[in-house]
Amino acid sequence: MKYEGDIQYSYQIKQSTFCKYVLIAPNKAVELNFPQMLELRRKINGLTTYNALSEILNSHNFVLLFVADRQHLIYLDIPQLLKLKEEIASFFQDFNTVSA
Amino acid sequence: MNTIVRKQMAIHPEVMDLLNNQIEMEMTASASYLAMASWCDQRELLNSKAFFYKQAEEEREHAMKIFTFINDNGGAAISPDVKNVNNDFESLRAIYEMGLEQEISVTKSIFKIFKAARKEDDFITEVFLQWFITEQSEEEDTFRSIIDIFDLMEGMPLKMVDERLPKA
Repeated sequence: MKYEGDIQYSYQIKQSTFCKYVLIAPNKAVELNFPQMLELRRKINGLTTYNALSEILNSHNFVLLFVADRQHLIYLDIPQLLKLKEEIASFFQDFNTVSA
Repeated sequence: MNTIVRKQMAIHPEVMDLLNNQIEMEMTASASYLAMASWCDQRELLNSKAFFYKQAEEEREHAMKIFTFINDNGGAAISPDVKNVNNDFESLRAIYEMGLEQEISVTKSIFKIFKAARKEDDFITEVFLQWFITEQSEEEDTFRSIIDIFDLMEGMPLKMVDERLPKA
């Protein structure tokens, strides 16, 4: 499957197969399995708390993050970080055990 | 994206985050009881030391129950970072009072997760937490009963009070 055509400035998440997802970064597409997605969610949630964002703003203004079991390193500035948080939140948002 | 996540995990992601916080809380409680056990052990308070060693093990078991529950349901359990454990206590009674306060905090936290699970229709977690609610009620009762003994035996030598306390 090719993702090059979809590459944009912001990070995006797409489903590839039942248990494979793709994190589309500005310069590459990173395949993730579900545990790796959960780990990415945890890291991004940790980096987007008020204190963590203040710390990033007061230091280098960007973060480097290992993803996919430390196989890939991604660069995120603050807007990208916040956009990726939203992207992950929307990915996990539709979880419903029962319909109303 | 609808239902993609549901096919991978049976518990709600935000409830999972709260459960991970709970693991940290239970492990912190376990470390705290271990510190209390050590204080009692050093002072030859045999029943109290046995009680707190047992409590430390029990809290760890609670954490492990939640840990395996998260992973069994497709989530990601996080091994917690336990820091700043207090090892300095003023008296045996103060230790038991601190233990009761700790249990009340744990109960409140369980209620918070229970409410969140109910709000998100996460019935699997809700049913799982019912055991913890009963357990917390028993734990609080144990500590209250012990503090009652301190009141009833006020003025008696510490060793004598300790001999009247339960080991588990």
